[in-house]
Amino acid sequence: MTDVSINHFTFHYPESDVKVLNDINITFKDHHFSLLSGPSGSGKSTLLYFIAGLYPHFSGIDAVGDIKFGDTNIKDIPKEKVSQSVAMMFQNPNQQFAMDTVIHEMTFVLENLRIVPDKMDDIITHALEFCGIKQLRSRVINTLSGGEKQRVALACIVAMDPQVIVLDEPFASIDPGSRLDLINKLKLLQEKHGKTIILADHDLTSYRDLVDEFYYLDPDTHQISLLDDEQAEHFFKNFESTQTINKKVEIPTGDDHSIIQLSDFKLDPHDSLLLKLGHFDFYKQKTTLITGANGIGKSTMFNALTKLLPYEGTIVFDGKDIKKIRPLPYAKNVTLLFQDAENQFLNITVKEELDLSLANRTNKAYTQTDVDDMLAQLDMAGRDERIVYSLSEGQKKKLQIIEMLIMNPPVLLMDEPFKGLDYHSLEVVVGFLNRAKKDFHQTQIIISHQLSGLDTLIDYHAAFENQNLTYQEVIK
Amino acid sequence: MNPGMKLLLVMLIALEISFTQSLTVNVILIVVSFAYILTQHVSMKALFGIIFWPLFPAVGLFVSQWLYGSAGIHFAWILFTRIYAYVFLGATFTLTSSITDLSLTLEQDFHLPSKFAYGVLAAFNLMPKIVEEIQIIKTSALMRGEALHFWSPKLYFKSILSSIQWSQNLAEAMTSHGFVEDYERTHYKVIRITALDWTLFIVLFAIVQVLLFFIRY
Repeated sequence: MTDVSINHFTFHYPESDVKVLNDINITFKDHHFSLLSGPSGSGKSTLLYFIAGLYPHFSGIDAVGDIKFGDTNIKDIPKEKVSQSVAMMFQNPNQQFAMDTVIHEMTFVLENLRIVPDKMDDIITHALEFCGIKQLRSRVINTLSGGEKQRVALACIVAMDPQVIVLDEPFASIDPGSRLDLINKLKLLQEKHGKTIILADHDLTSYRDLVDEFYYLDPDTHQISLLDDEQAEHFFKNFESTQTINKKVEIPTGDDHSIIQLSDFKLDPHDSLLLKLGHFDFYKQKTTLITGANGIGKSTMFNALTKLLPYEGTIVFDGKDIKKIRPLPYAKNVTLLFQDAENQFLNITVKEELDLSLANRTNKAYTQTDVDDMLAQLDMAGRDERIVYSLSEGQKKKLQIIEMLIMNPPVLLMDEPFKGLDYHSLEVVVGFLNRAKKDFHQTQIIISHQLSGLDTLIDYHAAFENQNLTYQEVIK
Repeated sequence: MNPGMKLLLVMLIALEISFTQSLTVNVILIVVSFAYILTQHVSMKALFGIIFWPLFPAVGLFVSQWLYGSAGIHFAWILFTRIYAYVFLGATFTLTSSITDLSLTLEQDFHLPSKFAYGVLAAFNLMPKIVEEIQIIKTSALMRGEALHFWSPKLYFKSILSSIQWSQNLAEAMTSHGFVEDYERTHYKVIRITALDWTLFIVLFAIVQVLLFFIRY
């Protein structure tokens, strides 16, 4: 029996009074599939990193309490034996491989485990077959899609054959096909191979009839509780409701002014076709919501619109081919609110960040009072001297939104702008965005999975599916 | 030839020609290296690159020595050919050896800590991501109204920040993939330094010594 038991486990950062994990007492049962949910940034990863034996080594900060595999404290397992007990799959598909090709990475894994070289080929073949990726064996990892990379990551784990598999939001950036396939593979590993699966995810899609236990990390008490069926059902229902919006939007009639036009547009990085459009218009002073599954190319399209990625065909902004507009003026006209807030920051402190936007903004639409007011409404006032990288994920997102609103570009592209925001903040931000559109004539294009609360903002809805983008009335 | 031995040989010869002044030997090294590269099915683009790009520093050195130096045109030619000798010698290694094999031999035969060998390899494999990241940093700065150039401290600050984050993630991933520092590992591909490697190394090195000794012009 190797239950994973967490006993009186408390973790907090030395500079903060808030406990990230507050006296956790739970047991992830042997041979079970446990789901750990809770809002982004609530501390799920921290717990998983401790279970996987990566913390405290990589955090440098230890926790109080202990984690046991069966009767053995994880700290008593010799370093070189840890990977027989537990392996981890990470959120970012791009940063979990040390080697260049799939076969080299898998060999590296087996060498680390001191497997006899004669046995390696069989183990690798079996693991790749199990994950359905035999054809990727000799591929260079950098050229794989996110979904393929996560399959390779799973194949590595299958080859390692640990008792416990820990996964930290492993599907955050991969397409729905890969997601479903990987979840089924995990279920198979649990049922047929007796593995213990502990998976953290805030997106609850397709887990309902699959998981044995549903744990919830409460962001207020910082405690984890095991939910009964009724409570779990409540969370699944609640999650589904954030994925819908009760509004039928109009299809553009052609009376609006188009501001960005794509023609004969084709996007195929690494030779896999993501998007092909004969002609598509985005409209001036409208908020267009783009929906579609993870990993199918929505963010990649934004990268093409901001000239970060090459594309085929033409993009016209305000009557001019964007290839003929100089980089600085174009970037100040068509601006991207990055999904990762840190990408937007250039300075160290909150005040420096705000001052930079105030100094370089396109126009003086927002007064100092407006800015102070926005900061206050989002509970960001009085944090002038804070280092931006030390803010919580939610605070980073709020600061990022405010500083990009101050820049007040004519077109603002937003990639998952509500991620990590609580519902009240979301409503406040929607208010800001409506003001920018009505008073300052801003055009907004938003990629978002969070739909509830956006009713008053959305004018048009474009669905991204089957390598195509089409305006649709119903948002789902 | 074993990539580690090859690298060592190339570096030794390059070091030697930095302190000797033989135009003929430089030319011989260039010709031999180029012939070797041609037998290794290298792309036209790479060939063009190693011929074209060194032209700028080589011509620069040549002209400044010829016009303003005190040692005359012969020395100017030595400097000119030296640049090409460096580049072509280097290319016999970089264009024909795999970085993976190099780190394998560094770990197995030269007994470098495996942490170092695989760290270098992992960093090398991150190169395309780094190029992408710099592009993102520059574009993001433009959106905040700032043009960052290659001398802008902010560009370095941001790239270093990303690198620290990546190296941390990578170290975690390697640990999670069972890698333990300074602990014994098995090797699927065993790279040995063979008798042939040693013979080639010694013979080639000796030939260069003989040439440098007898050909002083």
